[in-house]
Amino acid sequence: MCAFPLTHQSVLERVRANDAEVRRLAFGVIAEGYWRASYHYLRLQWRLDPHDAEDAVQAFFATAFEKHYLEKFDPAKARFRTFLRTCLDRFVQNERKSDAALKRGGGENKLSLDFPGAEHDLAQHLFAPAADPDAFFRDETIRSLCARAVTAMRQSMVADRRTRAFDVFAHHDLADDESSYAGTAAALGLTVAQVTNDLHFARRRFRELALVELRAVAATDAEFRAEARDLFGFEIPD
Amino acid sequence: MWISDRVVAHLRDVASWPALPEGRYRIVRPVGAGGMGRVYVARDERLGRDVAIKVSHAPVAGTELDVRLQREALLLADLEHPGIVPVHDVGVLDDGRLFYVMKRVEGRSLAEHVATLTSESDVLSVFERVAEPIAFAHARGIVHRDVTPSNVMIGSFGEVLVLDWGAARRLDDEEAAGTRIGTPGFMAPEQADGRAAEITRASDVFALGALLSWMLAESHVKSPKRLRAIADKCQAVAPADRYVDAAHVVRDLARYRSGLAVEASPETAWDRCSRWFVKYRTFILLIAAYLAMRAILAWAR
Repeated sequence: MCAFPLTHQSVLERVRANDAEVRRLAFGVIAEGYWRASYHYLRLQWRLDPHDAEDAVQAFFATAFEKHYLEKFDPAKARFRTFLRTCLDRFVQNERKSDAALKRGGGENKLSLDFPGAEHDLAQHLFAPAADPDAFFRDETIRSLCARAVTAMRQSMVADRRTRAFDVFAHHDLADDESSYAGTAAALGLTVAQVTNDLHFARRRFRELALVELRAVAATDAEFRAEARDLFGFEIPD
Repeated sequence: MWISDRVVAHLRDVASWPALPEGRYRIVRPVGAGGMGRVYVARDERLGRDVAIKVSHAPVAGTELDVRLQREALLLADLEHPGIVPVHDVGVLDDGRLFYVMKRVEGRSLAEHVATLTSESDVLSVFERVAEPIAFAHARGIVHRDVTPSNVMIGSFGEVLVLDWGAARRLDDEEAAGTRIGTPGFMAPEQADGRAAEITRASDVFALGALLSWMLAESHVKSPKRLRAIADKCQAVAPADRYVDAAHVVRDLARYRSGLAVEASPETAWDRCSRWFVKYRTFILLIAAYLAMRAILAWAR
């Protein structure tokens, strides 16, 4: 059996819900999934300074919530991620035209987000606009998704007392320098068999949690399946 | 948390690895991919050995690729021959993809190995060991349909294995005829034209001839007329003009290597004399030397 939920209400359905609390929570999920990519996008593609980019992200999600932007999404026309980026572009364009307050932030609906962390991550980028803005936004969304899955994975493996498996995963799969199984085993004082066993377990957990994260931010079930196919090269069974 | 592009790509890759049923097999690393599926090295925990696992790209049961992979597994299970990789197990993943477990073979493809073949004897030794498993399959009513250099592996100990039986089918299985399958340059005309019903053992014979020509060319070995005739007969446009099956190719090659007349090249009297001379040249030269010596001695007296 798969460890991820296969049938649940999509985030798009919940954003369109009449129940204000359901709608607010769905917005929270979308903001959590896309704010970091949005911030990096505004910093690099729109060349906003850190404060303006932070305010723009806050204002965008607040306005999208208040003015029901996202309810207009049509899955037949584009992926949700592309729709969201287009909305973000229009929002910043309009704000610039009206010379309005990118400064106003999110007002009452201000989100609690780690902008200093996002700014720190930005230092890892070549500070130049990407040739393809859509590809850049997509790549940042995937990076953010992987980071959330790893964070969730660490928490769940600590809870399950599988911290050694997480350490092996962090050393072997999260480091920028490629490491052999034998190298990881030597570095952590383990046998190669322990390393491969731990990696097997941890990768399986990562995959499950990455799919949970993907499911959370995909607008529809069809989009979830398409994204899973594109990102990880496999089909989600019916 | 910052994750670099390299790590993102790596995580996407490892997440794509198949989630095999818990317990027996543990994926170690991917080793290659083909049109039908991806191959991984895995650990068989129960028997404590490494194996190769091929997992189909297609996830939904009943798709053409899945059916082909399933057919490949069943055909391989039926083909127990030293030149064919044995299948140990077959199963279905949670997501519906089929996988089968094979003996793990380390080595390199013929495409990589051919440059090390430096003599006609080297080339023919490898070629015969490609043709033999194909002949074995033909005897069981199976055609491979995709004999190419990349589908031949040379193992660490020089063993020769014919791989990728995904395009293979039983000659009496009309459902498996399929669409155009094969590799350009090695496909028989009837295959290239998509005339699936006309594919027979002679279609594999064409591929074997193309393979032999390719090996001779790539290894820069000079090929005598009679050997070229064998390759040409294999690659005749009309299937009826080719060898009937791979066993006939093997037999004609054996005749060639023994210095006998070959089916592919009808002999003139001059050809026959030449061949006899080449075959018995030591004996003939000894007799000639003896006769010459007798003649010289007689003249001296």
